[in-house]
Amino acid sequence: MNCSLDLIEAYLDAELDPGDIASIEDHLSGCRSCSETFTRIRAQKANIRSIAPYYTAPLHLQQAVRKALRQAVADDAQPAGGNPPWRWLAIAATVLLAVSVSWNIRPTQHAIPEIGPLAVNIVSDHIRSLIGTHLLDVPSSDQHTVKPWFNGKLDFSPEVKDFASQGFPLIGGRLEYLMGRPVAALVYQRRQHIINVFTWPASSAKTERPFARNGYIALHWNHGSMTFWAVSDISSMELAQFENLYEK
Amino acid sequence: MFKFRDSAQTARQQDGRHATNADGNASNVHASFTESFGPMKTVASPESRLRLFEEVILPHLNSAFNLARWMTRNDQDAQDVVQESYMRAFRFFDSYRGGDGKSWLLEVVRNTCFTFQRREMRKSTVVVFDEAAHTPSVKQPNAEEALVEAGDRQILRGCIEGLPEPFREVLVMRELEEMSYRQIAEVSGVPPGTVMSRLSRARKRLEECAKGRDMESYR
Repeated sequence: MNCSLDLIEAYLDAELDPGDIASIEDHLSGCRSCSETFTRIRAQKANIRSIAPYYTAPLHLQQAVRKALRQAVADDAQPAGGNPPWRWLAIAATVLLAVSVSWNIRPTQHAIPEIGPLAVNIVSDHIRSLIGTHLLDVPSSDQHTVKPWFNGKLDFSPEVKDFASQGFPLIGGRLEYLMGRPVAALVYQRRQHIINVFTWPASSAKTERPFARNGYIALHWNHGSMTFWAVSDISSMELAQFENLYEK
Repeated sequence: MFKFRDSAQTARQQDGRHATNADGNASNVHASFTESFGPMKTVASPESRLRLFEEVILPHLNSAFNLARWMTRNDQDAQDVVQESYMRAFRFFDSYRGGDGKSWLLEVVRNTCFTFQRREMRKSTVVVFDEAAHTPSVKQPNAEEALVEAGDRQILRGCIEGLPEPFREVLVMRELEEMSYRQIAEVSGVPPGTVMSRLSRARKRLEECAKGRDMESYR
C-alpha cells in the first residue's frame, strides 16, 4: 500500500471498511511519515472537540421557534376567522359521502389524497412520461424552437426558458392533457433526473402547498398570468432553486 | 479507491431509479409505479403534522444553531437564521421524505444562511464588531489550565472562523456535528470526494493558522 493522506483522514473519520482499516493499520505500523501525519491529525481532531466552542441554542430561541410553529399551524387552520358550526356538518357529510363512494365504487382506494387530485395527476403524469417513449414531442434545447412548436396546439403561448448555464438545461416539450384541458409540458434535465414543468393560464392566484409522494416532489407557483407545476425526484431544495430561476 | 462504510449511496441510487429507468424494463417500471401510488397514506391534520415535525426536526435545534453560529460568526444573526430556517423547513415539511432529519434541516439552515448573507450584503450597513456576540460563554475546568486553555481556545476559534466558508462548514459538520462524509455531502450538495478534499484543506489551513498564532498545543 502507498502513502495516502486521504486514507489516513478517512480512517480517523471512521469512514473506512474493515478491509481498508486492516491495510491502513498495517501500513501505519511500518511507515514513519504516515504515522506522524496520523498523530498530527488525530491531535488536531481531539483539540477541536475539546476546546472549540459548540454553540447551543439559547432557551429563548427554542421557545420562539416553538411559538412561531404553533402560530403557523393556527394561521393555516383558520383562513377566515374561525369555523362556523355548520362547517363541521359539511365536513362530516363530505367524509360520509367520500367513504360511501370509495366503499361502493373503489374498494381498493384507502383514503382521499390531501391535496386535490391535480397534484396526484401531475405526479402520475410525470411518471408516465418517464415510462413510455413519449417524453418529448419536440426534442430541442432551443427555447425559440420549443415555444413556436406549441402554436396552434394550445389556446395560449407558454413561457419557455432555458437554464442550461445554471445546471437545468431545457431538453424539449410535449403536449399534455391534464384535468381535461391541453397544457404545455416543458422538460428539463438535472444531472440524471428529469423535471417536467406543466403550465397553463392560471385560474386563481392561490399558490398550492408543495406535494410529495414516494420520492417525487411537485412544486406549484404562479407567474404572470400563468400557473406552473414542476415535478421531479430531485431534492426539494434543488427544485425550489429551479423555481427561483423561473420566477426571476 | 476505498469504499465508504455507510449505505446512503444505495439509498440515493434507488431514489434515482425512476429517472434512469426511462427506457428500461417495463415490468420493473410498472412495479415502481404501483409502489409510488398505492396504498395512499391517510391524511395528516395540521396538528399531527406539527407533532411529527416537533418529533423529527425540532430536536436538531442545537445543531442548527451551532452551524448557523459558525457560518454567520455572530450570535444575533445565527438566531435570526435559525428562526427563519425552521419556518422554511416547516413549510417544506411535506417534501421531507423520511430518513435523516438532521441533514435535511441543516441543508435548509445552510441555504438560509446564504440568503441571509446576500440580504445583509445588499443592505450594506456598517458592521460594528460586537465583542459580546463574538465571545463564547464557556466554563473553565480549572484555574491553573484556564489561562493557557483560554488562549488556545481563542486562537482555535479565531482560526476556524477565519477559514473560507466551504472549508469552515465541512470542518464544523465533521468535527463538531460528527456527521459522515455522505451526510455532509447531502447538506452541502457536493460529492463526498469534494467533502474529503475540502476537509483535508481545512485541516491543513487550520494547522498553519494555529502554528502561526503560536497556539500552545503546537509548541
